[in-house]
Amino acid sequence: MAFKKVDLIKNPKERKGDQELGIFYTGKGKVMKRREWRGVKDTLYDYTRWLYIMSVLARFIVKPRNIKGMFRYRWMANYLAVPHMMDKFTQGLRDEPLRITHTAMNFVIYDVAQTIENIFRGDRRTGNDEEFSKRCVLTDENAMTAFMMGFKNSKAILREVPTMFVANLLTQYSTTHYIDVAQEFGIPGDVCPMPEAEAGISIDDDFAVLGCCAVQVNTTCDGSLMGNGLIAKRLEEEYGIPTFQLSAPMRHREADVQDYAAEDIKMAIKFVEEHTGEKWDWDTYFAAAKRVNDATRHRQEWLDVNSTYYPQFVGSVFSLYNDTNYMGNCGRSPLFPPVDAKITKLVRRGYERKTMMAKEYRHRCIVWGVQPQYNIHMLYWMINCWGVLPLTDMLSMVNTKMIAEEDTPENREQAYYDMAWLNENMIMRNRTHGGYKVLVDELWEFCEKMNADMVMMWEHMSCKALDGLHGQFEEQGRERGIHIVWVCHDLCDPRVYTRQAIRDEFSQYMRTVLREEPLDPSLEFINDENAW
Amino acid sequence: MKKAVKIPLTVLGIGAAAFAVTFTVYFFNLDMKLTSMIEPILLNHYDKIPRNQRI
Repeated sequence: MAFKKVDLIKNPKERKGDQELGIFYTGKGKVMKRREWRGVKDTLYDYTRWLYIMSVLARFIVKPRNIKGMFRYRWMANYLAVPHMMDKFTQGLRDEPLRITHTAMNFVIYDVAQTIENIFRGDRRTGNDEEFSKRCVLTDENAMTAFMMGFKNSKAILREVPTMFVANLLTQYSTTHYIDVAQEFGIPGDVCPMPEAEAGISIDDDFAVLGCCAVQVNTTCDGSLMGNGLIAKRLEEEYGIPTFQLSAPMRHREADVQDYAAEDIKMAIKFVEEHTGEKWDWDTYFAAAKRVNDATRHRQEWLDVNSTYYPQFVGSVFSLYNDTNYMGNCGRSPLFPPVDAKITKLVRRGYERKTMMAKEYRHRCIVWGVQPQYNIHMLYWMINCWGVLPLTDMLSMVNTKMIAEEDTPENREQAYYDMAWLNENMIMRNRTHGGYKVLVDELWEFCEKMNADMVMMWEHMSCKALDGLHGQFEEQGRERGIHIVWVCHDLCDPRVYTRQAIRDEFSQYMRTVLREEPLDPSLEFINDENAW
Repeated sequence: MKKAVKIPLTVLGIGAAAFAVTFTVYFFNLDMKLTSMIEPILLNHYDKIPRNQRI
């Protein structure tokens, strides 16, 4: 079958400021030699956002317990690189996409700063606020916090998010020390480096210790189960923090598993009630449910715009913001809806003005598989270097269903099924678990709906769940005339697969199969192996 | 010079100087260049902290 073709869209407007984006890394230091010139208006906008980020960091570090935490925990050193992360995620952006990315990511930065503040407040080694700690429930990194939606005063603390995940957004070598520690203790080297690093943090005694209890989930893979087992052992035996295992069914689309899933949510809530002493509050729950639906509507609108010729909200930040809002927040905070509304306003304006992010758009791409794009600026690089537009990614294709939001007796029972549904449709798990239909078949539906001619398939060499279906993707992609670009990586261990090796795989396909030349040749080889 | 003129001029001057300094730091990435020099010092410090390493 012939390959599918999409219309070439040329940008009538010339990009203001720097045209060559590959010149900023010299290979010597960890950071760029200077920041990007984006024309007067956009540079000044970016400068004001930099000032804002600096103010968030300054407000954080003036607190004595946060300084204490900074000197106690190795992972805190990565937070020196927060502005550098923003520079990676905004490379080449102007006009509305620049503002959308800042609006979303600046709020994520604020939210993570709050999370770390809460962690150090309750941490036995730093703030040691015992009363506060008694209200905290440690929650798994890759967990939907749906089971906390009805608790008004208790706090879900996603301890692993700032410790491991966000740290890796900031600097590419953030996890290598912990991976080495885990391997010194006999954890095999072919496990996914993400749970391996989390296990290493626990072994290295570098997690903050707080909370009255913890809830872990059967996350996305066998590696996560291994990591959680070790973390739970230390939490329970050494720190006396009881742990509940919330186990979502594997085939989560099947009707006959939903009763079990809802029952498990009820048990998780009961566990939290017992340990925090707080009773579940339905008013709090349904207020959160309204916000979950609100976030779903906004996300759907952004995806609708991304299905047109003029997408506005794309890239790693699209995924990161959705992860934070959908999973980490799950309707619990009233601070997210105004940010959603602001982003939607900018998305609409950008679409009406036909704002583009590159000289031309040559291909429309869906990003699939276990994605490492957070710690490199791969998706923005694809736009700027090759004119390939990442329309969406696997982790952003989550729940689209509205959940019950009115407080009625029937809806109180339905609420357990809704929370279970959200838990089953946690990011990544909703695709890596559930069989080939959710992982393979639905990808082609998204390609059709979003008019994609290309799938950039992240092949995580340590992820067995996806590697097993390699042949299915190849065969079915060929039948549909979709370009499947395989890009291998080892998630957060850059010693195995460097950033340039990752980019080379993509560039090879563009040059050898598609016979195309880069839009910005300075980006094809970037000397960023030692960079943050 | 009258006080009514002097005060706004002083405020304007301070604002302009603050902008010039912070914009220079921003554009030449001096903040990140400085923090990238601090990182190895911190890592050395973390290496010296006694830890209860165990599974």
